Amino acid sequence: MATNKGDINDGGAESFLTLGPDNSVTVRYHPDFGPHSDLILLEVPDDSVLNDLLRGRVTIRGQFDEDAVLCTPSSTYAMKFVGTSNSVFLIPPGKPNLSDPQPNPLVSVLKLAPGNVELVLTAPRLDKLRFLLMQRLYKIDEEDEEDCSSEGLYTWHDLICSIQASDEELREGLKFLSAVEINGFWRIVHPKSVNMILTMVLTNSVLHDWSLDALVEEEVLSVLESDGFNTTIVKHCLETFGTKNENDNSKLWGLDKKRIAVHFAKQVLGSNGGKMRLEIFIEKWMRNVQKGTPFDLNMLEGEVLYETIGAETWIKAFSVADLPLTPDARFSVLFKECAKWAWKDLEPYVRDLRVPGISSEGLLIKYTRRVQPNADAEPIFSAR
Amino acid sequence: MEIKVKCNCGVENCSEWAILELQGVVESQPSIANQIQGLEIGRLCCSSSSSQVNYTFTVGYHELSGTKVSLKKPLLVLKKNKQEEGSVSNNEVDLEVIGIIRHKILFKNRPKAIISRPQVKDKKASD
Repeated sequence: MATNKGDINDGGAESFLTLGPDNSVTVRYHPDFGPHSDLILLEVPDDSVLNDLLRGRVTIRGQFDEDAVLCTPSSTYAMKFVGTSNSVFLIPPGKPNLSDPQPNPLVSVLKLAPGNVELVLTAPRLDKLRFLLMQRLYKIDEEDEEDCSSEGLYTWHDLICSIQASDEELREGLKFLSAVEINGFWRIVHPKSVNMILTMVLTNSVLHDWSLDALVEEEVLSVLESDGFNTTIVKHCLETFGTKNENDNSKLWGLDKKRIAVHFAKQVLGSNGGKMRLEIFIEKWMRNVQKGTPFDLNMLEGEVLYETIGAETWIKAFSVADLPLTPDARFSVLFKECAKWAWKDLEPYVRDLRVPGISSEGLLIKYTRRVQPNADAEPIFSAR
Repeated sequence: MEIKVKCNCGVENCSEWAILELQGVVESQPSIANQIQGLEIGRLCCSSSSSQVNYTFTVGYHELSGTKVSLKKPLLVLKKNKQEEGSVSNNEVDLEVIGIIRHKILFKNRPKAIISRPQVKDKKASD
């Protein structure tokens, strides 16, 4: 008896719910009563999620070895099955079967529900995104290379199937990584290539007397294209280091001096772990950054750490953008790098942490031990 | 993998299902075993006193009393469908919203044992 359960309308839920005083109904097991393990009860936390569900805007994402998450267009929820020891009798909709010889309306129970699935708002699981996109960094001359396979390359659809995040959170994640879509694949550009293109833009600005506050998009793209650079990548460079200023008809870009200064600081230091004496760093940095840029070391917060070795101060690359996104992994890495942190040093490395339902103070309480010798002393944070 | 949660009913037309919930377990006589489809469980009556609406559920020799509760968080009834062979998506399963539950009648008080035979049977006997 393969009845389509969407069509069951003889359960009598209506009579059950509208039962009024001095009336009664008979409750029985539906002729199709059984485990019906294909029927699941889902608790909906609020009207916004309910709306998304009823409009078919919800998907379930994850690999088979992961816990499934439910995604609305903008949010991610962990799915947790909660059992009950009560007997929860499920009554399908509709008017009861009136042709029955029973004197009372008949309400039929289709299934005994063992519990329901609860939705818990959760941070999107984006660490995997960086891992996937780092597999094949985009290099400028890669089209010339022999290897044309798409292994290790991911389209938007591939990412949706692999990453447990809503569409909106996935896009934010891609933006955070400065990823760009090239030939349908989302890529992170190799730092050396980023540097090459930025340097070309800056060099050409001097050559052609372009104003860095008002670069004309078409002009920049066409000049660099004639030098052999992919326009998508050049445009991405403008987006990474500048802000668009849409004025009249021509698209103008203003480059952000601070973002450029930070970029060259990282070039000087090399990747995470690269370190040198502070004076040497400053000297090299000043050589790279354009004249007239008012730069100061405060621009580098969240990008560098300082160490005192003997009588010297050393500076070391340590970028928050390279650290894990989940709080427990983040704090673990931070305390492995340095056992004790003053708040002013720690803050840039934790300010981006977001966990639904926990404030930043809550995160500190959960993952750190705070020591403050007296009211005037600065608090020091260490591992729990 | 991505499984879309379909909903053909839309916001306005979602069929309303209901729940009758009680603490404890309804058991059938050993001779019936699992052949319970179609069998009566009990009688549900409604009465009102002062401002309150009460429900009484009589199962065998027990009488339970309870109330109707609106769920703060509604429940949706989802159905898992196995994909047919040769379908467009290569998932094995998809999900569909087939109903919503906003209210339940909840019995959480201790059942009262009915010493005499249940009223219903008496009435029938006297017919």
